[in-house]
Parts: sequence; C-alpha cells; structure tokens
Amino acid sequence: MSEVATVAIGWGLTFVVIATYSFWVVRRGRTIGRELGIGEVQQSGQEQESDLSADT
Amino acid sequence: MPESMDDSKMTATPLTRVLGILGIVAGVLMAVLGLFISPPDVVQGEAVRMLYLHVPSIWIAYGSFVLTSVSSLLFLVRSRRREDGGRHYDRLAGSAAEVGVVFTGLTLITGMLWGKVTWGTYWQWDARLTTTVLLFVTYLGYLALRRLPADPIVRGRRAAVMALISFINVPIVHYSVDWWRTLHQKASLSVGRRPEITGEMYWTLLYSALTVTIVGAWLIVHRYRVIRLEEIRDEENLKMLISSRGHERPTGSAADGEVS
Amino acid sequence: MLTEVLLLARKDLRIERRAKVALGQVAPLTLLIVVVFAFALDANAPLLEIGAGGLYWVAVLYGGTLLTQRAFELETEGGNFDDFRMSPIKAHSLFLGKSLGLFIQICVLELVLTPAILLLYEVQVADWWLLTAAGVAGAVAFSVCGVLWGVMAAGLRVRSTLLPLLLIPVLAPILLAGSRAFESALGIRVDAGWSWTSLMFVIAAVHTVVGLAAFGFLLEEN
Repeated sequence: MSEVATVAIGWGLTFVVIATYSFWVVRRGRTIGRELGIGEVQQSGQEQESDLSADT
Repeated sequence: MPESMDDSKMTATPLTRVLGILGIVAGVLMAVLGLFISPPDVVQGEAVRMLYLHVPSIWIAYGSFVLTSVSSLLFLVRSRRREDGGRHYDRLAGSAAEVGVVFTGLTLITGMLWGKVTWGTYWQWDARLTTTVLLFVTYLGYLALRRLPADPIVRGRRAAVMALISFINVPIVHYSVDWWRTLHQKASLSVGRRPEITGEMYWTLLYSALTVTIVGAWLIVHRYRVIRLEEIRDEENLKMLISSRGHERPTGSAADGEVS
Repeated sequence: MLTEVLLLARKDLRIERRAKVALGQVAPLTLLIVVVFAFALDANAPLLEIGAGGLYWVAVLYGGTLLTQRAFELETEGGNFDDFRMSPIKAHSLFLGKSLGLFIQICVLELVLTPAILLLYEVQVADWWLLTAAGVAGAVAFSVCGVLWGVMAAGLRVRSTLLPLLLIPVLAPILLAGSRAFESALGIRVDAGWSWTSLMFVIAAVHTVVGLAAFGFLLEEN
C-alpha cells in the first residue's frame, strides 16, 4: 500500500465513522422524539434538538 | 419531576445548530488543509497527514474521559443535593464516554495506518499503544455496564465508581507497560517517534484539534439529549404500564428512581 | 472491625468447604487449561518452558475470575446485600472480608497450579522466596481488584459475561507483573523479579484504598 493510499484510507475511515455515528445519534433522537410525540417540533435542519440547559 | 415532556419541547437550541454547521464546515476545511495545502514532511512524507487526525483524536478521547471522570465524581458527591438525583451528571458521563470510545477507536485505526507507513508495522507493543488499547476495552466495558437494565440511580452509582477507578487505573497500566517494554527492548521505543512539528504543519494540527473539538462537543451534547429522551421514554412507558394495571400496585418501584 | 472481617471471610470459606466449588470445579478447570496450553503450543518443550510463568498467570486469571463471580453469586442469590445494609456490619469490613475469603481461595488455586506447571512444563525453580512472594502478591492484588469489580457486576442480569470484560483490563498489569516475576523466579529471565512483585503489592494497596472509599457507594442502593 502506498503512502497516499494509506492516508486516504485513514481519512476516509475517520470521516465515515464520525458521520455514521452522528447520523445514528440524530436518527435515534428523532425516533424517540416521535414516539413521545415531540418529534414535529424538531423537524427543521438535520439535527435533533432538545434542551440541554433545562436541567443544568 | 424535573423532566416532563414539556421541558423537551423547548427544542432546537440555535447554539448547537450553529455548532453543528460549524463542525461540518470546519471539517471540510480541515480536510483541504490537512490533505492538500499543508506540505509533506521531510522525514515522513505524506504519512504525516495522518497525524492531523490521530493526535486531535486522542486529545478529544482523553478530554472526554476526563469529562466522564469529573461528572462521575460530581454525581457521587452531589446526587443527594440535586432534585434530579444527579442524573444530569450521569448522562454527561455516559455521553462523554461514548464519544471518547469512538475517538479512541479512531486513534487506534489512524495510528496503526500511520505506523504501517512509518514503522513498517501496524502494531508495536509500546506503552502508549498498549495503554490505549486497554483504555478502549475498559471504556467499552463501562458502556456495557451502563446499558444494563437496572435502577437508574444504582446503575449510575456503579458506573460512576467504575469511571473513577478506571481513570485511576490509567497511570498504573501505563507505568507497568512502559516498564515492561523498556526493560526488554530499550532501542525499539525510539524508532520512528513523532518528529518536531513546525510552521504550517503546526497550524494545521492546531486547526485540526479545534475542529475535532467542535465535532466532539456537538456529539456529546446530542448524545446527552438522546440519553435524556431515552430516559423520558422509559419513564413514560413505566407510567403507562402502572396505570394500565390500575391501582393494584401503587409503588413506582425499581426503575422509577427519580420520582421522589 | 477485625472480628467482622474474619467473620465474613470465615462465612465464605465455610460455604466453600461445604460446596467445594473452588477445589472441586475451578481448580481442575485451571489444570485443564495448563494441559490445553500444551496442546495449543504443540507440546513444544522449550516454548512451554519460556511461557510457563505467563501461562500460569493466565490460568490464575481465568480461575480467579470464576471464583470472583462465584463469591458474588452467593451474595446476590440470597439477596444478602439487603441484609448487610440492615446489619451493623460496615461496608469496609465487607470489602476486606470478601477480599480475604477470595485471597485464600486464590492461594489454594495457586498451590494446585504451581506443581502442575513445574511438572508438566518441566521448569526448575531458581528462587523459591521470589516465587512465593510473587504468588502471594498476585493473589492479594487479584482478590482486592476482584472484589471491587465483582460487586460492580453483582445483581445484574448478565454478570457472568460482564464481569470478565470489566475485570480483565484491570487485571492486565497484575498479569504482566506476575508473569515477569515468575519468569524471574523460574530462572527463565534474569530480571527485576522483586520489583515486579512490589509493583503488585502497590497495585493491591491502591485498589484497597480505592475499594474502601468506594464500597459504601456501591452497596447503598437507592
């Protein structure tokens, strides 16, 4: 394996892993939010949002 | 009860959305900087580009584990005085640990690829690598402990103690492995150590660290919220279960630790 | 407090004497592991001799994990932790008592295993004192860590699979130190055998302090 190929694999894998994990988190949040009937509020944008500061 | 459904309707904090978009933009820029703009290293050649991922990843991983330990400590110390029973700290510890595990995994992958090019081998039993892989497994165990069905407060307390002991254990493991390797193979340790990083590389590395921090923070915040939603769902389910049974069992029992 | 500790340790050992799980099941199982290692390494005598110290500690690690599991199954099956919470026995005594009970059982296990590797792997003992000290140090460190992590997995539904996952990364330094100390005691390597032995005592001390501090949190439910 050439150096360039190795670097490409490393970067590729990292971005894929982080993207997959992010999407998993967001999707899971949405699914549960919908189950609870609060999903409609958070449809805009790709991120699921609930309030962190509410109990900090 | 501090966590009713009404609370979570206050969704869509603009701050995290900005943070998310910032993370994506910064990530793209980081790829451009790290892969194309920054020069190849004199000694390592193109392989140095791997370090722009590898080094920030382990920083974030360690940062997350520190956050896990601090929240765990606060959970143990403060849980009595908080009306949510300290579950805020518990959630923070859990989400930080999960993100930490993801980044530790990435550190190992990028490190092995970098090692293949630089050392000619994927793995070396040196102190840093061995400690990292044990750290990875330890926190996988921590996450496994957290996933088990149990009373949230009891599980939280066990997880908190485990997080703290694991953290104390890191130097013990590192020291033992370091000693083990230096006793037997003095020379191999210094082969292919990280070079001095200066100039453009230095700025690229610093920028990458910033980017990965943003992404990590975004992930921790969102994971936290998902854990909270899970808890709300579990409580709703439990409430439904209890009400469907009528009033034969008025006690909230095990899984309802938060209702005082 | 000392009487409480002894009382608790004696309780565990009495149960063991009646049920004979450590001697009747775990010890034969670890002997089997010693034999199986020889199969895995093609009964290669030089290889077995070099590996004897390490293989010994892997067998102890495995047997000790089973014993730890057993020590806490006893308590959770009968719901004994609830009784402990009600009783005037302090969490500290419980931690030390369980550790002492486990320590003695692991020592028995080591007494069975040591002749086995000496005979089957054909190794000579170069330093009996070091061998004994390392064996004791490893057993102390193991039992303290085992009790600390055993109570963490106690009472959970999947503890039999969870405990090894939690325990083995923590025990890794003990395995490392024990193996090196044994290699030195068996004359395979002229090495810092005594330093490794003291490292195990240090690990034991650290975990004792942590265990005493943490056990109260772990026992108090709700």
